[in-house]
Amino acid sequence: MDSADTAKLKKRKINAAIYFMNMHAVETMVKAEDLGKTVETSAGQLTILKGINLEIKKSESVAIVGESGSGKSTLLGLLAGLDTPSRGVIFLDGNEITALDEEERARVRGESVGFVFQSFQLLASLTAVENVMLPAELKGETGAGKQAHALLKRVGLENRAHHYPRQLSGGEQQRVAIARAFASSARILFADEPTGNLDTKTGGVIIELLFELNKEFGTTLVLVTHDTNLATRCDRAIHIDSGMLIAAENTDSGYSAPAVEGN
Amino acid sequence: MANLKLALKLLWRDWRAGELSLLLASLVIAVGTVTTITLFIDRLQQALVTESSSFIAADRVISAARPVPDEWLARATELQLEQAAHLSFLSMVFAEERAQFASVKAVSSKYPLRGKLIVSDTPFVGGSVIKHGPPPGEVWLESRLMPSLDLAVGDQLDVGSASFIVSRVLIKEPDRGGGFNNLGPRVMMNLQDVPLTRVVQPGSRLTYRYLFAGDQNNLQEFEAWLSPRLGQDYRQYGVKQGIQGIGKTLERAERFLLLGGLLGVILAGVAIALSAQRFSIRHFDHVAIMKSLGATSAKIDFLYLIVFVVIGIVATLIGCGVGWVSQLGVVKLLAPFIPVALPDPGLRPFLVGAITGFVCLLAFALPPILKLRAISPIRVLRRDLGNQKMQDAVTWIFGICGSWLLMWWYSQDLKLTMLIFSGGVLAVLLLGGVAWFLLRTGRVLGMQAGSVWRLALAGMQRRGQENTLQILVFGLAIMLLLILVLVRTALIDEWKAQIPDKAPNHFVINIAPEEVAPINAMLSGYQLRSQPLYPMISGKIVEVNGKSSRELDEMREAELGEQHGPRAASTRNLTWMQSLPEDNRIVAGQWWADDYQGEALVSIERDLALANSFNVGDELKFAIRDSELNARIASIRSVKWDNMKPNFYIIFSPGALDDFPSTYITSFFLEKDQKLFLNKLLREYPTITVLEVDVIIEQIQTIINQVTLAVELVLALIIVSGGLVLLASIQASMDERFHQHAILRTLGASRKLVMGSLLVEFSVLGFFAGILATLGAEVTVYGLVTEIFELEYTIHPWLWLLGPLIGTLMIGILGTLATRRVVQIPPMTILRELA
Ligand SMILES: Nc1ncnc2c1ncn2[C@@H]1O[C@H](COP(=O)(O)OP(=O)(O)OP(=O)(O)O)[C@@H](O)[C@H]1O
Ligand SMILES: [Mg+2]
Repeated sequence: MDSADTAKLKKRKINAAIYFMNMHAVETMVKAEDLGKTVETSAGQLTILKGINLEIKKSESVAIVGESGSGKSTLLGLLAGLDTPSRGVIFLDGNEITALDEEERARVRGESVGFVFQSFQLLASLTAVENVMLPAELKGETGAGKQAHALLKRVGLENRAHHYPRQLSGGEQQRVAIARAFASSARILFADEPTGNLDTKTGGVIIELLFELNKEFGTTLVLVTHDTNLATRCDRAIHIDSGMLIAAENTDSGYSAPAVEGN
Repeated sequence: MANLKLALKLLWRDWRAGELSLLLASLVIAVGTVTTITLFIDRLQQALVTESSSFIAADRVISAARPVPDEWLARATELQLEQAAHLSFLSMVFAEERAQFASVKAVSSKYPLRGKLIVSDTPFVGGSVIKHGPPPGEVWLESRLMPSLDLAVGDQLDVGSASFIVSRVLIKEPDRGGGFNNLGPRVMMNLQDVPLTRVVQPGSRLTYRYLFAGDQNNLQEFEAWLSPRLGQDYRQYGVKQGIQGIGKTLERAERFLLLGGLLGVILAGVAIALSAQRFSIRHFDHVAIMKSLGATSAKIDFLYLIVFVVIGIVATLIGCGVGWVSQLGVVKLLAPFIPVALPDPGLRPFLVGAITGFVCLLAFALPPILKLRAISPIRVLRRDLGNQKMQDAVTWIFGICGSWLLMWWYSQDLKLTMLIFSGGVLAVLLLGGVAWFLLRTGRVLGMQAGSVWRLALAGMQRRGQENTLQILVFGLAIMLLLILVLVRTALIDEWKAQIPDKAPNHFVINIAPEEVAPINAMLSGYQLRSQPLYPMISGKIVEVNGKSSRELDEMREAELGEQHGPRAASTRNLTWMQSLPEDNRIVAGQWWADDYQGEALVSIERDLALANSFNVGDELKFAIRDSELNARIASIRSVKWDNMKPNFYIIFSPGALDDFPSTYITSFFLEKDQKLFLNKLLREYPTITVLEVDVIIEQIQTIINQVTLAVELVLALIIVSGGLVLLASIQASMDERFHQHAILRTLGASRKLVMGSLLVEFSVLGFFAGILATLGAEVTVYGLVTEIFELEYTIHPWLWLLGPLIGTLMIGILGTLATRRVVQIPPMTILRELA
């Protein structure tokens, strides 16, 4: 362990040096240093996250777990470049996204990031296949339709391609969302409680799909979840409590934390 | 290019999903309303101008004491204007046994260019339209000349040294003019015959009139070319300046139509702003998702600007089409009521509609759409984050500047624009504050009420800001409607009062004192309601406070030029009266007591007093016949010159004119079928003069009826577009309400409770809106009526009851009907749609 730790430290230093030279990192996909988030509310300042340090490697799958209100979604939003932290530095796929403005972050998201959300977030006015085509279309890529149909087939919805989200069940909507997430040929996928709105069985199917595709595409996966099953399927879990990291274990064999089980 | 394709694709998908229909619909309504109104106003105005042009027998007239340079007529020919001319002079005309002083009018062969000549074979009755004036060798005589010269059609009449055949009786000529300027009875002849008469000599008093008609633009060009060349000797005028008694009416009608159009534009703008906001809010999620997928703000801008431009173009095209069709419909529907044929509309209305559409889009729809770029992608994680406040300073500034510019551009009238605009801004500020306050107190009251009320009022309170805005919009729409109704009522009342039914339409002047009694008897014998006989005597002011009036005039002329109002030294008709004429109003000093018998006092008309700085107490010296009379100014009075009654600049106190031989004037009302009475009257008293003003009164009444109708129509159109704005506004708050009530339904709320709370909510909003509308309307109408329409203002007590009532009923019913769906479809469907 000791030697692993020092090696890790060394590696981190080297990585950081590489990052600061604005080079492309091969190993590390996400890295946060001394991350903090404070918001103004009517009742005064509220600190949601403080002193978060973490690193996620390429092709790793990581679960972020913790009690409701502990700051999981906030952390995910920051790591994915959807929001800006109050303090700290974040690197995402070789970009120091905390040094970028919203326009540049949008470009990074478009190039490297895919999302799956608890509430699906499909565009209501677009059909299933059009929703899947959207990332490629936004990038101006051609052949979006073919790819989208293939992906829909992959998630088992080829005969629902021309249905609107409101005509699909929750599970079907989430499958469309997963297809869309992979359509952008993302290198890292962020998922916020992807099964939160679904029953156990459907949730299981969705998880299967997510991990299968993840493996197929070699994507890095960061997912927030309450679901112990889901967490154990990840390579690693990051546990946060009241905005602070309490454990970041490297468990190839699976993860099980009492706090999560108690949920 | 790829972006454009993507934008169009998204646009198409949005359209297919029904997301755009509301924005498109309100834009189409906006452009459609404005185009309809402008088209209709344009056509109606053209029709009115054409109709009114008959009053001067042309579109433009040049009047002078001598012929105009040939160059001018050549210029008119160049501009493809139709031309005619006539020459008028006073001359003795001779029948076999009798002679009479007549006003001769020699007309060219094209006369009249506008309006109709009506002729008959017997005096006073019948008549048919004839295209042009008499051919050479013939004369036409006005009815009253036939009995007084004892002539019949076919007889001979001499004018100067030439003889003519009396071939017809002239019943009506379009540009006869009203009142007392044209006292002599008419003899009409051909212009070619004038040299034969040899009456036109150097030094004779002649009036040449050159008539022009044609395309409006060419006329304007001609006018512009002409005006620097006119100088002192030539006067040029159009319809408005040409007709006594109608110019003001037309002007006010035009202003009203303009006002109507303006309010239509504002209403349209509000509707667009509302639906653009709804569109934006519904796209918050779309933008957040697209941003999370990597769309930059610049891309969002681009995508939505394309939406914006395409919607603008499509809406403008459809709107113009809708405007064209609905205007056709309106015209068709009203064909039986509009006596004149409406000319084809020009291109301007379409341009106005299109520009209005785009300016509305820029001013009202652009700000909410530009807000989309700033939506934060974090919204995909937490829906309450990354919202944009829809009403901020930029939105308001855009809206305010936009409406101001639109109004100004549309009306080209700074005063009118400023008035409506400042009224509107003031109302919005005031009303916003009051609405907010009313909502607060409303809730306190509602706390003690039953569940329907509590539910409704709690709902209103929760969305306090949105509701304040909604009350504002409702209030604004109702206010604009009330304004229009009030102004219309004031205008129409004024027009009705201008010439009441059975107003005297014949005047008799030159009645000798000894004829007064028998003529009076004769009139009452025929049961004619006659006015009192006024004495009338001509005279003029020679000195003012010891200074020569002629010198005063010269001084003033040197100072102010030609146009300084009525002159002091002109010869005028004088009279005396015991009591103030009905329509006159004292503006300074006092009218004499009923039994006044003292030294001579005079009452002076206001314009005459103003132009010459006469004040109460000034001493005037008059020259009447060969003697002089001193009198002190006791009062200054305003006179309604357009009421077609005998009006006087100068009125003396009773007894003041007793020493002067005077003749008398009276007036009475004659039905059309009683006109033969004039034959009898004139045969018996050949020295009196009868003035027929029935024709001109009829003309004025026709015009007034037409403009009244136009005013009502525009009002109806605006009411329709106001209703549409109300609907758009209700629609804008629909998502929120649907959601709330669908949740209530799932919680088991009864249909009665939900509908009841909706009804209460909308009625309360409507009630407050009604109060605000009433307040705003009274204030704005006060400004409009006194400043723009120059009418007297009276407060409208009934409005204070009606305004809130209209608000409550209209909003209550419209709102409940529009949201009724919430209890008719399963709540699940609604929740799914809105998820
Ligand atoms: N913008 C904000 N303003 C105020 N409070 C916020 C904001 N964002 C997050 N919070 C608060 O911060 C805390 C953490 O929020 P977050 O959504 O990250 O929790 P979570 O761990 O995802 O919870 P859950 O498992 O219920 O989704 C919560 O108490 C939340 O109310
Ligand atoms: Mg969360």
